Amino acid sequence: MATPSTQATVKLQSNDNVVIEVERAIAERSVLIKNMLEDCGEVTDAIPISNVNESILRKVIEWCEHHKNDPVAAENENDDSRKKTTDIDEWDQKFMNVDQEMLFEIILAANFLDIKPLLDTGCKTVANMIKGKSPEEIRKLFNIQNDFTPEEEEQIRRENEWAEDR
Amino acid sequence: LAEILNLCDSQQLSFVMNYVSPRLKKDPFRTLPNELCLRILSFVDDPRTLARASQVSKGWHSLLSDDLTWKNLCESRRFVLSSEVETFGRTTHNHHHDPSLFQPVASRQFMEIGPQTATAGASNLAPPKQPKRPAPPSSYRSHFKQRYMVETAWKTGGKLVAKHTMSDHGVVTSLHLTPDYIIIALDNAKIHVFDAEGNWLRPLTGHEMGVWAIVPWGDTLVSGGCDREVKVWDMSTGECKKTLHGHTSTVRCLKMSDHKTAISGSRDTTLRIWDIEQGVCLGILNGHQASVRCLEIHGDLIVSGSYDATAIVWSISKRVKLRTLNGHVSQIYAIAFDGKKIATGSLDTTVRIWDPHTGACLSVFQGHTSLVGQLQMRGNTLVTGGSDGSVRVWSLEQSALEKPNTACVHRLAAHDNSVTSLQFDEVRIVSGGSDGKVRVWDLRTGAPVRELSTLADAVWRIGFEQEKAVILASRGGTTMMEVYSFSPPPEAL
Repeated sequence: MATPSTQATVKLQSNDNVVIEVERAIAERSVLIKNMLEDCGEVTDAIPISNVNESILRKVIEWCEHHKNDPVAAENENDDSRKKTTDIDEWDQKFMNVDQEMLFEIILAANFLDIKPLLDTGCKTVANMIKGKSPEEIRKLFNIQNDFTPEEEEQIRRENEWAEDR
Repeated sequence: LAEILNLCDSQQLSFVMNYVSPRLKKDPFRTLPNELCLRILSFVDDPRTLARASQVSKGWHSLLSDDLTWKNLCESRRFVLSSEVETFGRTTHNHHHDPSLFQPVASRQFMEIGPQTATAGASNLAPPKQPKRPAPPSSYRSHFKQRYMVETAWKTGGKLVAKHTMSDHGVVTSLHLTPDYIIIALDNAKIHVFDAEGNWLRPLTGHEMGVWAIVPWGDTLVSGGCDREVKVWDMSTGECKKTLHGHTSTVRCLKMSDHKTAISGSRDTTLRIWDIEQGVCLGILNGHQASVRCLEIHGDLIVSGSYDATAIVWSISKRVKLRTLNGHVSQIYAIAFDGKKIATGSLDTTVRIWDPHTGACLSVFQGHTSLVGQLQMRGNTLVTGGSDGSVRVWSLEQSALEKPNTACVHRLAAHDNSVTSLQFDEVRIVSGGSDGKVRVWDLRTGAPVRELSTLADAVWRIGFEQEKAVILASRGGTTMMEVYSFSPPPEAL
């Protein structure tokens, strides 16, 4: 059954001054907000989320809502499961299927708000984009200029030949 | 905006797309702070992707040069720095690569060791010793690269760098790898010393019958066998420095506890403690009722396994029996001891785990269907090999000891006949069998990785280090030694 704290709501204010009201339990997926609420007790004013604009904040809240019942992950940074790149669940994959700008902003917001599972999902998404691609494919993917001289490029290619050998 | 787009024809739309889509793309490593970029890279558990990513641009290259990524990768692959590698009294690995290793193999292949070459070899001066070396890897990246290339070679590559055939064929009873030497002993009284790269150096001549046990310590080798003598050799010169008399039957096992103390076990049922510098027997350990087959040392403790079905824990300094481990119902053939636990393998097909300080039997592992003659323990992992041809990986965690039916982690159908030799490290198991195969296994998954070398009649002994494997086998009635190297060529590093 719901405990009183899950019924309470909090107001979050984006950096473009939009106030969004969310369930406290959802907002508390963010360790930053959770700690803030614990330190301040009852907060009736909107909490300013200075680094995040409305659309990203709504997106992040959407994620928190979907994941509100997830067990809180153990604080084990070196956990093997954290390292598995491929295991992004279907909902998260769809959720992360946004343009790159938004993806990176979600990552930044997750980092700022201290939502580790969201941060990792975002980072894994980017890692999966890179995985198995050639340098040229990566450049195309992110619109990166090749700023090596042909000589430098050749040298770096040779430096990395070992990893191609299977 | 949507209305404008609705008015466009497909050519204009495609112009808009080409105009817009690069703007939707962004270099994540320019957008995100470094710590987050590294976090992203920490999810790339694939050196090929990382290597390719470093070729994207200068920015990516410098980020990929950050050692943290490679440190993570090292950790995820459990590539510990060699200084951290546990060596269980064997050898410390070095990263130096002797360039001579990579000369064409043919020049040193098919060198025959027999009476002729033996005498010729003995008159030669010992080659100058390689300077002692290890150049530690300068970064996690280079360390990773080096280890990755070695691992790849273990899986699919490797090079035969030395091969010797012995004209006087015999059964190989012992093989030891040290940082300086490869030493083998045979049942025809021969001991051969090779350098670490597998170049034959010299024989140690003096035993009159089969040599059944050897133990190296630096340049010193102690040996024993059917002639009941324990001999002390200087491997750098080939000189026999001491011959120790006392045992009244075959010396079956030998260990050293420090540079001048050797302990021998014999078919005469006793163990003897020797001062090999003075050449005197310091004590005789009586207590077994039958042949002493195997022994291990840790600190001041000796544990010996006997054909009387018991193991005994002794004190070296007090030269007394501390306790007897009763439980096996037939001969003990193999023993492992790390100071905390003792493992014994027996003809009764079981493996028993004992507490060395109380003598209590902590667990009995069942599963082998025949003699358990091969056994190695490392931390909480025990690997055993049996005459049933199977290799088993066991957990020694407390829960496994309490429920021994859950202790077997992997059961490998390794050989069609007895497992004659077995070794494992943090990555792999290598097993040799009397079916003539040398097989490599993944320790963690238990999956077969490959077979090493070509099929022999029988494999007598195998031994390996991080970058090399030594195989002693019989082919067409001849005893052969092969040394495989998995070192990357020096120009690749």
